[in-house]
Amino acid sequence: MIRGFIYGLKKFWSEVFNGDLLILSFSIVLAVTSISSVGFLGDRLQASMQLQASSILGADLVLRSATEIDSEYLNIAASKDLRSAETITFLSMVIANGDNLLTSIKATTGSYPLRGELIITNFSGQRIQHSGSPPSGHIWIESKVSESLELTQSDELTIGKKTFKVDGIIEDYPDRNSSFVGFYPIAIANIEDVEAMGVIQTGSRVVYRNLFIGSNQNLNQFVDALGEIPASLRVQNADDAGDNLGEAIGNSTTFFNLASLFTIIIAVIAAMMAVRRYADRNLLHTSLMKVFGASKSFILGHQIMQLSLIVIFATVIGLMCGYALQFLLVETLQGILSADLPPPSYKPVILGFVTATFVVFGTASPYLKILGETQPIRILRNDFSIKLSNNLIIYSVAFFTMFSFLGILFQDIQLIAYIAITLILVTMALYLLGRLLIYILSFVTFSNGIGWKLGLKNIVQRGNESILQIIIFGLSLLFLIVLAETRTDLVDSWGETLDEDTPNYFLFNIQEYDLEPIDEYFKNQASIAPTFTPLIRGRLLSAKRPNSEETNFENLMEREANLTWQTSLPSSNKVVDGQWWDEDSAVSEVSVDKEIAVSMNLEIGDELNFSAGGKTFTASVTSFREIEWQSFSPNFFFILSPTLGKDLPNSYITSLKVGENKKIMSNFIERFPTITSVDLEAVINQAKGSIASASLAVQYIFLLTLVAGVLALIASIYSNRDQRTKETAIMHAIGASRLTIFKSAASEFFILGLLSASAAIIFATILSSVIFYQFLDLIYSPNLFILAISFFVAISFIFLAGIISIKGTIYASPMITLRDS
Amino acid sequence: MKDLILEVKNITKEVNSPEGLLTIVKDINLSVEQGKPISLVGPSGSGKTTLLAIMAGLDLPTRGTVTLLGSEITALDEDKRAQIRGKDVGFVFQSFHLMPRLSALDNVMLPLEISGDPNAMGKAQEALGQVGLAKRSKHFATQLSGGEKQRVAIARAIVNKPKILFADEPTGNLDKKSSGAITDLLFSINELINTTLVLVTHDLVLAEKCDEVFELSDGCLL
Repeated sequence: MIRGFIYGLKKFWSEVFNGDLLILSFSIVLAVTSISSVGFLGDRLQASMQLQASSILGADLVLRSATEIDSEYLNIAASKDLRSAETITFLSMVIANGDNLLTSIKATTGSYPLRGELIITNFSGQRIQHSGSPPSGHIWIESKVSESLELTQSDELTIGKKTFKVDGIIEDYPDRNSSFVGFYPIAIANIEDVEAMGVIQTGSRVVYRNLFIGSNQNLNQFVDALGEIPASLRVQNADDAGDNLGEAIGNSTTFFNLASLFTIIIAVIAAMMAVRRYADRNLLHTSLMKVFGASKSFILGHQIMQLSLIVIFATVIGLMCGYALQFLLVETLQGILSADLPPPSYKPVILGFVTATFVVFGTASPYLKILGETQPIRILRNDFSIKLSNNLIIYSVAFFTMFSFLGILFQDIQLIAYIAITLILVTMALYLLGRLLIYILSFVTFSNGIGWKLGLKNIVQRGNESILQIIIFGLSLLFLIVLAETRTDLVDSWGETLDEDTPNYFLFNIQEYDLEPIDEYFKNQASIAPTFTPLIRGRLLSAKRPNSEETNFENLMEREANLTWQTSLPSSNKVVDGQWWDEDSAVSEVSVDKEIAVSMNLEIGDELNFSAGGKTFTASVTSFREIEWQSFSPNFFFILSPTLGKDLPNSYITSLKVGENKKIMSNFIERFPTITSVDLEAVINQAKGSIASASLAVQYIFLLTLVAGVLALIASIYSNRDQRTKETAIMHAIGASRLTIFKSAASEFFILGLLSASAAIIFATILSSVIFYQFLDLIYSPNLFILAISFFVAISFIFLAGIISIKGTIYASPMITLRDS
Repeated sequence: MKDLILEVKNITKEVNSPEGLLTIVKDINLSVEQGKPISLVGPSGSGKTTLLAIMAGLDLPTRGTVTLLGSEITALDEDKRAQIRGKDVGFVFQSFHLMPRLSALDNVMLPLEISGDPNAMGKAQEALGQVGLAKRSKHFATQLSGGEKQRVAIARAIVNKPKILFADEPTGNLDKKSSGAITDLLFSINELINTTLVLVTHDLVLAEKCDEVFELSDGCLL
């Protein structure tokens, strides 16, 4: 075998530049390019999105509580090499110049924020360098506060018992959505001044947050070290941030994995075709070597060395191309990504090598066996055709090895199992379809001389070869169509969450008597009909399980609760457990946000005790809801049934989409001074930025898989090009005109394309529905536009590529072709 | 009597076919003396090529034994037979079987590279010189005429100085002029490197040039 290795090494360069090894190398280069650029880009984008999510959180990990957090957690974090910061957020009146404004006060330590940027300017708009919190006795405020209270640089304002000097304007800060006070204008003070303000008393609505950053490993160790934590304490990480962004990250991660997986499978298909052509053309060489004394181990040594060198060189080139490609993509995305992308990890490099090894040796192993065992007698029989039908066991082993490898790689056994089963079923179905086509065509009477009939005859005569091409075309198209559908629906679903109609203003403190004038105002000024939702200030006192003596007072995350009552389920809500009440229900019921229910360990049927409007009452939990927070509509953790809610004192809340005309809102504030309006533009823009980058990344990664798919189709078309070329030359030599040959090839490729594309469309809708339902949590409805486009593009592509592949032969002298072959 | 280089005893080759068991050669016995060229003649389908393949160790008989260069090759596995072929056997084929993507020199070097000969290039150039193609060593197979291709194939067959040279219809794909030249070359080579030529042909004129002619018909020696 050593001699075979040496021979393979010596011949590599001359053979690689002489033909078939080049084709195989090229397909592996492209496969590794696709896989590694998906890997590199996905790696960096995921890291970037994590960073953006962290920036929304202000940290990588947050401990959040409505009561003071034990300082012991900070000590544990320090022991795990985590950096930390603290914030305390509460609502308070800010008083200045004889006026006051309900403001969200955020008291911070010097290290705040740990992720994202806190931008402070002076009143002239120049940026101020700062350490994360103003010095004691100083304060930063948002421009809404300064405008409302007519404050300028170094003016004084009072919060509770403490007077502060205004040092700067808050231009931007990261953790906007971190608490219930997110809609009020904010002021940032030093955490040491909180006590002096004297505004936090027992029962006050306060959010305490401990922020942490560090390596993933250290963060995990920290979470492990926390052990049992009080029920009032919540652990939040980047995936939970801003609720909607977490979902975008989760789904885009699934998409990246899906795209990588499909790219690998498509690359395997391309490599299979390339290896087949390589083996076909190597059979003469191998048989000759056997005749001249080469042993089986020599042949294997020669092949293994050449394939190993292909793995090494193609992977290195592929990795370089992949890195360059993702670099270009990142440059394109740079304007959209707010955070600097972290460098990629080494994972894609390892992934590239391992994948190339599996692809090359997985697909080549059946041929290695055939070449190693080639009988030298083939030379005398001029028999250089490979029959793989006897090697189904090797293919089965290669298939299971490949999917075990993918299982380990993606660590998602369920997804891999679904894809493997789909692959087997679709292959079998395509095989049967191909057999059926040949069976039907075999009944057609062909008369020679008519081009298109010759094409149909060729399909029948090629038999298994035609079926193999239908399978390869069908599988490549299937995965491309599924990915195209997934990409489109995913991006659309994200886009829909923040479309043109997303509300950009919240209005609070609306009283019953305001409803009509406000409605009239917006109808006249902006042709908007606001929908008012009742807002009941309440308090959750306890939770109790029926038939249990135990009453839970501790496990309540938010004791202060904004309640509402509704007759029908709000459009941005979905009942995931239990049942929504009937319109005329007379039972005291409450519907709870699913996440809150989980954190409070609630079950359907539990009884919640509330106080509101001076009354205490009990409501039975009858449903859990999933809330689309990104709808920017008024949403509530607790919704009461009409029987309970309609008699409680309430104000109203609404959200509106007001156009560019800023005057509408400034006039509104003037006319309705008691109503609080909150501009959501900054929050929406932040979410839009994240979703835009996720969408673009998905588009680009899809393009890479598309390139791999096109390569697989080309490799498949070229896999039997030699045979077609020879047949074309013979037909030419015996007098067939170019037009006849063209018609013959055209009809053959058209039929193959038509059948493959039709089958791929049908199977794609089935696979897409499984993926949407099982992995993306989206409802699947076939995207007819994508399916139609895919169908026509696929047929056209197979048709044109097929014609191009034999174009040279049609116009070449048949003698040259026959002599060369 | 000179030493026997090849001895064939009771060789029968049967294969399965759609029509049932097919006997290609039946009860063949022959022996070849060292240095004494022989030819196998017969019409197409008479079993000449099958017999040549069995005698050269490229295929195994259903029954019978072949002793080549003192070794009973019918008792050896494929790798052992390959060892003998690599060391002492040369082949020339009707279809030349040159590697189209290799130069003439590379084609001739092939057997030596397999055996790991450190001086493969020098010996290959010498062999090309012996067949009169020293100046065409860099040409690829597709750039050569039929006669030139067969000369390269002969150079490849003799490059390892084989003790026995099997030639299967070596002029079958050539015109009359080229055939004559190749025939002359084969017999001169036979003397030059002191090998033993075993020739399969249906060309009786060519066959008559050998010391002994064996005629096959329907798989049996006449």
